[in-house]
Amino acid sequence: MEHIRTTKVEQVKLLDRFSTSNKSLTGTLYLTATHLLFIDSHQKETWILHHHIALVEKLALTTSGCPLVIQCKNFRIVHFIVPRERDCHDIYNSLLQLSKQAKYEDLYAFSYNPKQNDSERLQGWQLIDLAEEYKRMGVPNSNWQLSDANREYKICETYPRELYVPRIASKPIIVGSSKFRSKGRFPVLSYYHQNKEAAICRCSQPLSGFSARCLEDEHLLQAISKANPVNRYMYVMDTRPKLNAMANRAAGKGYENEDNYSNIRFQFVGIENIHVMRSSLQKLLEVNGNKGLSVSDFYSGLESSGWLRHIKAVMDAAIFLAKAIMVENASVLVHCSDGWDRTSQVCSLGSLLLDSYYRTIKGFMVLIEKDWISFGHKFSERCGHLDGDPKEVSPVFTQFLECVWHLTEQFPQAFEFNEAFLLQIHEHIHSCQFGNFLGNCQKEREELKLKEKTYSLWPFLLDDQKKYLNPLYSSKSPKFAVLEPNTVSFNFKFWRNMYHQFDRTLHPRQSMFNIIMNMNEQNEQLENDIKDLESKIKQRKSKQTDGILTKELLHSVHPESPTLKTSLCFKEQTLLPVNHALRTIEGSNPADNRYSEYAEEYSKSEPGVVSLEYGVARMTC
Amino acid sequence: MVNITVIFSLQSLFLVGCVPGCLKICANVMSFLLTPLFHFQTSRDGVNWDLSEAVPRLPGETRITDKEVIYICPFNGPIKGRVYITNYRLYLRSLETDSALILDVPLGVISRIEKMGGATSRGENSYGLDITCKDMRNLRFALKQEGHSRRDMFEILTRYAFPLAHSLPIFAFLNEEKFNVDGWTVYNPVEEYRRQGLPNHHWRITFINKCYELCDTYPALLVVPYRASDDDLRRVATFRSRNRIPVLSWIHPENKTVIVRCSQPLVGMSGKRNKDDEKYLDVIRETNRQISKLTIYDARPNVNAVANKATGGGYESDDAYHNAELFFLDIHNIHVMRESLKKVKDIVYPNVEESHWLSSLESTHWLEHIKLVLTGAIQVADRVSSGKSSVLVHCSDGWDRTAQLTSLAMLMLDSFYRSIEGFEILVQKEWISFGHKFASRIGHGDKNHADADRSPIFLQFIDCVWQMSKQFPTAFEFNERFLITILDHLYSCRFGTFLYNCESAREKQKVTERTVSLWSLINSNKDKFKNPFYTKEINRVLYPVASMRHLELWVNYYIRWNPRIKQQPNPVEQRYVELLALRDEYIQRLEELQLASSAKLPDPSTSPAGPSQMMPHVRTHF
Repeated sequence: MEHIRTTKVEQVKLLDRFSTSNKSLTGTLYLTATHLLFIDSHQKETWILHHHIALVEKLALTTSGCPLVIQCKNFRIVHFIVPRERDCHDIYNSLLQLSKQAKYEDLYAFSYNPKQNDSERLQGWQLIDLAEEYKRMGVPNSNWQLSDANREYKICETYPRELYVPRIASKPIIVGSSKFRSKGRFPVLSYYHQNKEAAICRCSQPLSGFSARCLEDEHLLQAISKANPVNRYMYVMDTRPKLNAMANRAAGKGYENEDNYSNIRFQFVGIENIHVMRSSLQKLLEVNGNKGLSVSDFYSGLESSGWLRHIKAVMDAAIFLAKAIMVENASVLVHCSDGWDRTSQVCSLGSLLLDSYYRTIKGFMVLIEKDWISFGHKFSERCGHLDGDPKEVSPVFTQFLECVWHLTEQFPQAFEFNEAFLLQIHEHIHSCQFGNFLGNCQKEREELKLKEKTYSLWPFLLDDQKKYLNPLYSSKSPKFAVLEPNTVSFNFKFWRNMYHQFDRTLHPRQSMFNIIMNMNEQNEQLENDIKDLESKIKQRKSKQTDGILTKELLHSVHPESPTLKTSLCFKEQTLLPVNHALRTIEGSNPADNRYSEYAEEYSKSEPGVVSLEYGVARMTC
Repeated sequence: MVNITVIFSLQSLFLVGCVPGCLKICANVMSFLLTPLFHFQTSRDGVNWDLSEAVPRLPGETRITDKEVIYICPFNGPIKGRVYITNYRLYLRSLETDSALILDVPLGVISRIEKMGGATSRGENSYGLDITCKDMRNLRFALKQEGHSRRDMFEILTRYAFPLAHSLPIFAFLNEEKFNVDGWTVYNPVEEYRRQGLPNHHWRITFINKCYELCDTYPALLVVPYRASDDDLRRVATFRSRNRIPVLSWIHPENKTVIVRCSQPLVGMSGKRNKDDEKYLDVIRETNRQISKLTIYDARPNVNAVANKATGGGYESDDAYHNAELFFLDIHNIHVMRESLKKVKDIVYPNVEESHWLSSLESTHWLEHIKLVLTGAIQVADRVSSGKSSVLVHCSDGWDRTAQLTSLAMLMLDSFYRSIEGFEILVQKEWISFGHKFASRIGHGDKNHADADRSPIFLQFIDCVWQMSKQFPTAFEFNERFLITILDHLYSCRFGTFLYNCESAREKQKVTERTVSLWSLINSNKDKFKNPFYTKEINRVLYPVASMRHLELWVNYYIRWNPRIKQQPNPVEQRYVELLALRDEYIQRLEELQLASSAKLPDPSTSPAGPSQMMPHVRTHF
């Protein structure tokens, strides 16, 4: 590639930022078309995808060399010291170019090849079928139907082609309403609660200004409330703080006037906008130790970043939504400004609280496909996939994942997936390795021909399902039909495994999940042994009746009997947590950019004796 | 509007909120949570339930009085109930049909009783008693103004909660409970030192303190360097605060480095020196030939150590002790810790601080203190386990911070102390026998709630243990309930275990003969206190991460009275227990199948590795 001037630099040092003794690893740095690779003297490899790089900094020259600090979107921070300034400069320039592509076609997904043929690839894309999902929810039905109004993206470019609307809403009403809504994002169905016959609908803000009104829009809202046979009142949730919504009125936008709409109850829930969230994350990362370990006031720093307060705001909104449906049986219309950030958060999280299907591995993929990808959450802009406006970048989806993580902490048995699954998804919204999160809306994705030129992430995650299973999941427990989270202050904790996922010294020494996973595996092994023995006994019985006893059978209970094998295998497992993950970069284990290191962290997480250095690192932070 | 109120009350139900309006509905649910869960259950052991009154009673416990009161629950609002007072406990049962609330509070937990409201107070429920407890809560009772009922209750409670001021015995001396295990036999110093491989060539056991003449706050039995004579010890004692000379706490089984504990040297303003003390420390160092320097950890902040010179104390200077290096560990004194815990209570009881939770938590500095204690212990443990040097630990008098550091370091170094009995021995040895002043720090039966000697030093130690158990879920044989039970009985005065300040006082009062040990209760019902994840390991040193990112507030202890915290059984633990049962079932089936298949063999001798021999082998791994 034209951007790469130096492909290999030797004698580079990698510093551990949580070690006070300035311990470092020496190794060789390689620059490939897609990755930065560091191989240390123990042959341990550190791979960094160019697309993961958020920031490269070249610091002032020191006696030992030229420091190069790379901050990644997955919260990895690496600190290299390159002996010669020229090399450092070359790498720095190359990384600047490589981490910020101008065109979609230059992203990794377009060159990534997991060695699958076209039909396999297509099958992968068909794994998640949203029409199927709406059918599962119970639509179309007597009150809701599929509308073809947006079939050609004529009414709203950022919506999907297939939209579900109240049966009694005619096309002119839809068209009229869409003209009264920001970016044409008129109210449509996001989730239908079959038992309650209540709906979650989503849209963008109305163009009401100070006094404007739109009869079609009012009719459409009425149609939504009429589509609920139990409760004629519906909630309109504006997820913004009231002040922001009012400010929008001056620009000819705003919020619904309760006097103009019949049977609505209007409610602000106060989630801040993308800019506030971006700077909040920035502050969080500063507290987090980007600035070294001098930060002694971790908690007050965490609080002043506001991050957990924002997480709680999103959670509170989702709880409000779920309660409106469960307790009052009311339909809810959710919007923010454009209806693709906060609205996606609240609708998806609300559905997750209500419907246990979304707490399965497959269901969670469906949820993301539906409320985030298809409804036009601007992934490429929010994740900064291309060299674009930095003001459009915001951790909205990360917040959603964190809310889900908080729920998994509070309800450890309610989710089929584990933390690693969430981290892996987070990894891939930035990796640009798969097509799912590229582009900002469905129309754009179709134009990019992503389904022909790239692969879908989901089948790869499903293939690796075993890694992402939560051993505590109890799918049948009625306790977890609807989740009712407790939002008391001390329940909101810093997500260490997300923001410190690459800082091994800061991880706990033992993982409870691994213990349980091992136990599960041992039990499976035992079960197999039982089956084995049972079949052998059966076999023998039949043979005995024939009066034949072969030597082979004698052998089967001899030294190599299953029990002995089992006991040996126990021994190994209790000593070493299972680590299936092998480092691969292109090929056999493709969806796995990060997990292997994660697993490795855990597998090495029980050292018999930790060196003093670790001890000191831990003492100082 | 009607609909909106519906949401509201349902909303509070949903969150199990604290809005007074909804209380009655959820009172049933909450009453369970409100009772001191752990205590309530443990107190049932050996308890006689007097059926006529349905109040639990221990053998030796006598009824004093009962009264109708209104319990002003900070979470659910006023609840009418009947309170029963015995010489051991205050027991309240709700008289309202829709609430099953029960309070069962040992009187030992009471720190202070105040009257609230006067003859002129008007408001509803404004006249009564406010009781401050040592376990992070307050109890308020409203009483009728007529008929002196408040005066009676105040006097009776004062009398039995603070027996010392009324020349009454502490309940532990009246308790006639019988257990099938005798907890007093758990700790036998000679056996414990023998377990550590002592005496050996360098260390001897001395009975010089047999009658507590050398040091009245030390145990009778001490381990000292072989080369130090009893006369040497006497001379060293004159130079150490309260005669608490350096003695051995723990010895590393392989590298033979040791942890030694003592009090500060009496250096004073003039910088006095004592040749015997200097020589004695050098003798300790020389028990390991390869070590050039003895490490001294002074637990205090440097400034405090210097300030102590004014009152005759101080620290070991470089000039006097050539072969030692001194580090300060910056752990604050008992007063700072007491104030810190007070602040914790302010932000968690009755209401949990909501909007500024994190910064409020930080401003209590509680976790910071925990971090400093753990960090200090990690350093001690690391020195010793790496064999770099032997360690001498002291603070001012060597009975607060020193006990924390030595016991935590021993817990990190020696897996024996992580078993239930091992932990009991650790507490018995480093805390009880070495004179942590439990009576002064806790104020058993004493009415002076503002006594400057009170401080939550032992609670802090248990908190550190809990933090470790969170980070090493398989390393400890005991569970959280074990720790909470210890803390509950630290105050309850039901057992003699934590009474008095030192061994000599306990001996004088014949505590072991006249009271029951807490370990009797625990050891006779060990299953309840066992951690299912425990995997026994030998020789593994635990180094917890003492970073603020890892330390957590112990919600299940400090906020346990709040109905918003869930006390449901830990799902992870539950699942594990399920799996354990499942595995046992599988192993049994396997065993049966193996037997069945081997039974079918014509000649059993061809199967040397019979299942009965193999199975125990399988089991040992769990």
